[in-house]
Amino acid sequence: MITVSALTKQYRDRVAVDDLTFDVAPGRVTGFVGPNGAGKSTTMRMMVGLTRPDRGDVRYHGISYTRLLRPARIVGSVLDARCMHPGRTARNHLLASGALSGIPTRRVSEVLNEVGLDRAADQRAGSFSLGMRQRLALAGALLGEPELLLLDEPSNGLDPDGIRWLRKFLADFAAQGGTVFVSSHLISELAMFAHDLVVVGGGRLIAAEPVATTLARGDTTVAVRTPQAAELARLLDHHDLAVGVGGDRLSVHGTTTAVVSRIAFDNRIQVVEITETSRSLEEILLAMTGATAAFASA
Amino acid sequence: MSITTYANINAPAAPRTPIAPRPTTRSRRDDIATVRTAVRSEWIKMRSLRSTPAILGLTVAMGVLLSLILAIFVKTDPNTHEPFTVGETFIFSTWLSTVLAVIVGTLLFTSEVQHGTLATAVIAQPARWVTVAAKTTVASCFGLVMGIAGMVAGFSGAVLGGLDTGETSGMAATALWGLLLTSLAPLFGLGVGMIIRHSSAAVSIVLVWALVLENLFRGFAPPTVSRFLPFSAANGLLDIESATDTPETLAVALTRVQDAFLFAGYSVAALTIGTVLLYRRDTH
Repeated sequence: MITVSALTKQYRDRVAVDDLTFDVAPGRVTGFVGPNGAGKSTTMRMMVGLTRPDRGDVRYHGISYTRLLRPARIVGSVLDARCMHPGRTARNHLLASGALSGIPTRRVSEVLNEVGLDRAADQRAGSFSLGMRQRLALAGALLGEPELLLLDEPSNGLDPDGIRWLRKFLADFAAQGGTVFVSSHLISELAMFAHDLVVVGGGRLIAAEPVATTLARGDTTVAVRTPQAAELARLLDHHDLAVGVGGDRLSVHGTTTAVVSRIAFDNRIQVVEITETSRSLEEILLAMTGATAAFASA
Repeated sequence: MSITTYANINAPAAPRTPIAPRPTTRSRRDDIATVRTAVRSEWIKMRSLRSTPAILGLTVAMGVLLSLILAIFVKTDPNTHEPFTVGETFIFSTWLSTVLAVIVGTLLFTSEVQHGTLATAVIAQPARWVTVAAKTTVASCFGLVMGIAGMVAGFSGAVLGGLDTGETSGMAATALWGLLLTSLAPLFGLGVGMIIRHSSAAVSIVLVWALVLENLFRGFAPPTVSRFLPFSAANGLLDIESATDTPETLAVALTRVQDAFLFAGYSVAALTIGTVLLYRRDTH
């Protein structure tokens, strides 16, 4: 269990993280989302002791990270896949990391196998692609067989096969009781395996809830095609439903196909086509964080 | 809008038995116990880079070349007008080895900042003084090896150049003081690197200070002041007279013991300031 309490960090006149409080439960994948500049990276850096918070703290099973004995055996983290010397081989990079935490050298070959870098073990990291560096960084996080994983954009640079592997790996890790806290801009990807979401914007917590709850925030829309569009529109309006009409097509907001088809059936209106759509998680999150985005597209 | 279905791959399973032991709080004794593994980690980092043997090779090359040049082309000491001997010449390249050792110490830290591996170390070892202690140990040992390599190379170059052996009674003492210097020099550089945190800037500052500023300072400041400069202390440890030495300079020169304490003091001061900054600054 990770407990984040009132975490705050200010840089000169800018509050990067403002009174952030949330829990990350074991046995679940928690997605950490927010627009650029929302404070995600700063938060994750405070969670592993790289940045000292101005207020608040982060505890792992009740213990502050900087007080943990051999933290790499409890928390595996990937904050930046570029953190490796280009002149050092993958194997030596992991040997040095493992030695610092007293991890047996046999784990180096094991994790290299696990992430698919066994054949590149003796190549220098400077020759690695971004995807390979990402895999090597993940290997480093897994060296200590941790029970918690903190990952910042772990799928950056991975090919589709790699992304699928990572998704399955993290899902299995959580299914076996591990704790996964992963920040990602690939919302659609995150939605496929995350159980919970922590949504931040402008350094502040916007929501900390199960994915299902976030999805429920999105309105559903029923699209109907009928030769009796005007009549059906009048009936739906009579039922206090918001309707948009365009030729023989209607868009009915905030309802379900069951409700619309019942109204049509009861009034003997022919329905050629009826479809229910809902907003994607990405659209919902964009709506939740839109006002707080530091860098918004035109 | 789009039609999307969301399906979690797995519902949460029953908690498994944790792979890792239940986390515990570390104590000061635990931190001290991890110094050994931290030293091992720093050694792996050092030996796994091609620059390490390259630096040793450069030290050897400098030692041999300098002695050969003195033996073949210079031949006599410009201060005493006496022919160079092996007993005098073997130590000359140690001054260059010292400057190189300072740079090695600097890069031991700044390259980690540059490549982001310092963050990895701090995440794995929150007791940052352990990382400093490990780097200090490895840097000092490497400096010692550089000193030995440089002196052996200087000795070999002098012999190859055909110099007479000369007075050798003071060689052992000079060698030991020289090894003390090359062991301390990386610590000075490590401290500078921890303060400045940028490879180019730190190395430039070290080189400009050692090769230019101190010489300028000696030209303008009285010898009673300039004798306290760090690389003046280094010269004193090696008992090397420079072209700028005057009878006044030599008259107020510190003893080798004093020079050793002075240079060690500079190294400890730089390391201490660097360690304080390491704790105070965020790590990137």
